[in-house]
Amino acid sequence: MKVLIVEDETDLLQSIMAFLKESGMNCEQAVNLAEAIEKINTHTFDCIVLDIGLPDGNGLRLIEELQKKEHQTGIVIVSARNALDDRLKGLNIGADDYITKPFYMPELSARIKSVVRRRSSQGKNEIIFHELRVFPEEMLMYINDKSVSLTRKEHELLMYMLSNQSKVLTKESIAEHLWGDHADMADSFDFIYSHIKNLRKKITDNGGRDYLKSVYGVGYKFSAE
Amino acid sequence: MKLLNLTNRYYIAIAVGLLLVSSLFLAYRVLYLVDQEISEHMLYEKQLIERQLKNQKQLQRIPITLGDKIHIVPIDKFTTFKVQVKDTLMADAFEGIRLPFRIMTYEQQINKEAYRITLTHRLTENESLFYGIIFSVILVAVDIIACFYFLNRWFSSKIWRPFYRAINILKNFDLQHGNKILFQRSTVDEFNTLNAELTRLTGKVARDYRNLKEFTENMSHETQTPLAIIRSKLELLLQSENLTDEQVGHIRSILDSVSRLSKMNKSLILLTRIENEQYASEELMALGPVLIKHLKDLDLFISSRDLKLETQINEDINLRINPHLAEILITNLLSNAIKYNIPGGVLRVELTREYLRIANSGKPLTLPGEQVFERFKRGDILDSMGLGLAIVKKICDHCHCFIEYGFKSELHSFTVYFQPQKVVAPIRETILLK
Repeated sequence: MKVLIVEDETDLLQSIMAFLKESGMNCEQAVNLAEAIEKINTHTFDCIVLDIGLPDGNGLRLIEELQKKEHQTGIVIVSARNALDDRLKGLNIGADDYITKPFYMPELSARIKSVVRRRSSQGKNEIIFHELRVFPEEMLMYINDKSVSLTRKEHELLMYMLSNQSKVLTKESIAEHLWGDHADMADSFDFIYSHIKNLRKKITDNGGRDYLKSVYGVGYKFSAE
Repeated sequence: MKLLNLTNRYYIAIAVGLLLVSSLFLAYRVLYLVDQEISEHMLYEKQLIERQLKNQKQLQRIPITLGDKIHIVPIDKFTTFKVQVKDTLMADAFEGIRLPFRIMTYEQQINKEAYRITLTHRLTENESLFYGIIFSVILVAVDIIACFYFLNRWFSSKIWRPFYRAINILKNFDLQHGNKILFQRSTVDEFNTLNAELTRLTGKVARDYRNLKEFTENMSHETQTPLAIIRSKLELLLQSENLTDEQVGHIRSILDSVSRLSKMNKSLILLTRIENEQYASEELMALGPVLIKHLKDLDLFISSRDLKLETQINEDINLRINPHLAEILITNLLSNAIKYNIPGGVLRVELTREYLRIANSGKPLTLPGEQVFERFKRGDILDSMGLGLAIVKKICDHCHCFIEYGFKSELHSFTVYFQPQKVVAPIRETILLK
């Protein structure tokens, strides 16, 4: 998966690059609009992570440039402004998703993967992880071809963890992914725990291995190790 | 009390006092002068009589007595030079009542003959003179005061008009809109100075307010990127192997602080944006479904606390409101009512044509009721920022809704009263009517 990251804050750029590279993405970078336009004219990307507040212009112009040609590129807008009109404008002119600073890295990674999945229309875009098979649009998973139903939150949680395999996921980032604005409810962490427990039970009861690991004091990790 | 009435009151009090004193003075003075005049007149008569007695050997009878009565009685022997004067009351021949008279009695020797002469002079009635004077003075005084009072009112209302106009302009001055104040020029220098100063001051206040708002907004925005960097670096750090539990603990607490800071920033940005009228557009919105959707989202949190959910939602209510703000209003009120509820408590949601009321069980607040909507006021609740309700209040103000907080029978309630003209009648009824 080839991703272009357009971000003028080099520190943040480096973090995103490092995180996404570790997630197995092939990353290119651009620190301003001119460089970004040059890159999209010479390469094709599966996804562009676009900060719209760039020193040499509004990042939305890059989307306009991109629209001039046929493309299959997914676009995730990153903004410091949680402004509704920015969001609507971005989504209207062809962005696929919108994320506001400060975001959680696994969240960004999950959004990118989701956008790319939606863009690529090659049949069923199932996610396979060893004996697990999960479909983004269906509330169920297959373990060794045996279907197991999931609740909506369990499905969301599983998708989130599958998008961030072998990554330590903090409880905060999971809570925000699952409940958005309601994530600061005092007992949301307890619910994560019970969702994880249920999910783990559903996998192991149906012949799967236990991939959901607790990371002491931090959160959880989905990994085969 | 109006300035005009105050000055009038003083003027009138002083005028009444002065007039009272001066009328008394005037009355006594006039009485004294009249008295003097009579005495002088009688002395003059005395000389007249003396001359007549000297020149004419014999006293002539005075044919008509118009004024004073004169008694000339020959006596045997001249005894004294003393002139005796006394005032007395005597019955008057014509009026038949007792009137004041002055009687001057003296002896005189003329051409070796002695006479006792008595002059009687009618005095004016002191009392009636006195009251006459007082009455006239009071009449004049009342006239003057009344004239003065009305004239003063008239002048003042004319003179003070620019002042009241300026006050009206100030009353309508709205800092949030920051419109520049324009005063009319007056012919009075003082008012022009006042207006100039007011223009300068309000201009400065508006400028400061704008700067402060810009600062808050910029500050909040600019903080988001560094926060994003901090969070991303911490997350990278968390991915590394061989972290000790202690190190993980440190990273966790930094991450927590970053989250809090970021949430606070977002709330402040939202508040500033509402103030800046960036959510001006309105749409017709069905509040019922939105409430139900959010209650469903929050279902887990409601059931985990064993809350008793009581809903009374009229799903036909449509409100003209900015949809984004409506969502925030509902989310904030609902999560507030869940977060600060007690286990097994009540969560009551009512939506009627007049109001939206969200109530929850709980202990009484530790801070006064009217302060719940103030920024960073959170009583003894520790994990709260105290911005949620400030946002709710701001949204209500912005949408011209009236929000009320109440605590009755162990239930905290927040009621948002809608503007009647913003509520749209149920569509179903309209169709039926046709």
